[in-house]
Amino acid sequence: MEDPLVQIGAQIIPFFLLMLMGFIVGTTIESNHYREIRKREAQTRHLPTISFRRPPPSWQITSTALVHGNTVVSIDYFKRFLAGLRAITGGRITSYESLLDRARREALLRMKASAIENGFDAIVNVRLETARLANSSRNGQGTAGVEIFAFGTAVKLAS
Amino acid sequence: MEWEPSDLPENNVTDVHPLRELGLLLVGIGGATIVLTLVLAFFIDGVVRFLPAEWEARAFSGLWEELDPVSDDRQGASQELLDRLSLHWQENPYQLRLFVIDAPEPNAFALPGGAIGVTRGLLDDVESENELAFVLAHELGHFERRHHLRGLSRSLALGLVFGAATGGSSGTLLTEWVSNVTQLGFAREHELEADRFGLGLVVAEYGHTGGAADFFEKLPETGAGAIHRMAAWLATHPVSPERIAALKRVARQEGWRRHGELTPLYLNAEPR
Amino acid sequence: MILSNTEDVPGQEIREFYGIVTGSSVRAKHIGRDFMAGLKNLVGGELTGYTELLQEARQEAIDRMIEQARSTGANAVVNVRFSTSSVAQGAAEIFAYGTAVQVE
Repeated sequence: MEDPLVQIGAQIIPFFLLMLMGFIVGTTIESNHYREIRKREAQTRHLPTISFRRPPPSWQITSTALVHGNTVVSIDYFKRFLAGLRAITGGRITSYESLLDRARREALLRMKASAIENGFDAIVNVRLETARLANSSRNGQGTAGVEIFAFGTAVKLAS
Repeated sequence: MEWEPSDLPENNVTDVHPLRELGLLLVGIGGATIVLTLVLAFFIDGVVRFLPAEWEARAFSGLWEELDPVSDDRQGASQELLDRLSLHWQENPYQLRLFVIDAPEPNAFALPGGAIGVTRGLLDDVESENELAFVLAHELGHFERRHHLRGLSRSLALGLVFGAATGGSSGTLLTEWVSNVTQLGFAREHELEADRFGLGLVVAEYGHTGGAADFFEKLPETGAGAIHRMAAWLATHPVSPERIAALKRVARQEGWRRHGELTPLYLNAEPR
Repeated sequence: MILSNTEDVPGQEIREFYGIVTGSSVRAKHIGRDFMAGLKNLVGGELTGYTELLQEARQEAIDRMIEQARSTGANAVVNVRFSTSSVAQGAAEIFAYGTAVQVE
């Protein structure tokens, strides 16, 4: 029979390593992503993006197309552990907030990028959808990732 | 209608450092778990002594077989000694059974359902019947106080709390470890109670307490880390000078004779 | 701040628009509430704990959306949409979005 301390160590040490790795790598990835998001948002802020069902009547529209962008993101081990603790105490799950915020801004940016790439001048009737991709392992617990899908109608205006 | 480009504040993310959040959550949940476990343990302590021994015996019959008992030619004589001692405990509701397990370190433990396990190491070490009698009587003391059940139900309580907290998915070993640590505090108190009862039985059988404490003096100091894992929650036997001193104090208070003739081992056993 | 889920604010005219503003809130109820909801599930009826949870989260999402709109200089958010999703076990996200505009 093995020493219980050895067995507990064997269970706890990988946990700490995963937490540490999740914290360091996850934080780095997140801050890099945010930096990139802010840069691209500054580049695309000139593109009118609105959730009106119809474009403003003053616009002279020459052509339209459906544009969309999606992202699937997942959080690191550390933040997932935090979220797990939060599920016990209740309250705001802050570690998921940044995940969803990043995903949403990324999806909007991709949608805008595809509109700009194709020479459109604005996007109307923008909609955002959120879907949770459940993890198939571990009896469906946990979250593999969250998909955000952004779509809208891109319009070309007569100049 | 004019388009006015704007920069939005990043207010969808709460500005809190993840490490701070982790610290707060761990302290909060850890504290709540400790309080909940203590309350539950206190409650179970109160309830468990009213559980009829017959139920217990039925629920746990055959548990001792899980521990791989071995046949040993000292088993019969030891069982006979146990039966003799139990005659002095009038209210004994148990069908007592003694079994031997193959382990070199001297140890004994009381299992739910009325089984007492002794190791080969213990049988090798004892030098007089009085010595063995006290070890067995001490285990009977655990039965009398229902300590073995309390230990078991405490582990259950802790398992329940942890299971609820972690969704039953993780931390079984952690539970066991926390359980062992929390048992230690209770165990000390239980050991003293069992000692007191056991000493009473020894006096009833032999008329004096001689030889009773001999066994402790042979044992090395045992700490939390060295506890035999299997029996950790059933038998944590703190061996310390205080325990021996406590035994002497009980004997003095009760006015028991401290010394007397020691009975040789296996007097009644068939010749080997 | 005027909120509306129509394309315009009745009786007023949109002067300027500032784009999409969003507000989100991810929340969970504590384990006791989850347990009570589990029991309530057996008999059916309103899960008041969760009603509260979602209402709190929705309010926070609206507040955050309004805060964004205010920072752009808007005085109304039109075409407001809500979406609710379960992003993790026992956690719900409420998301609100609309177009920030200046009306007169």
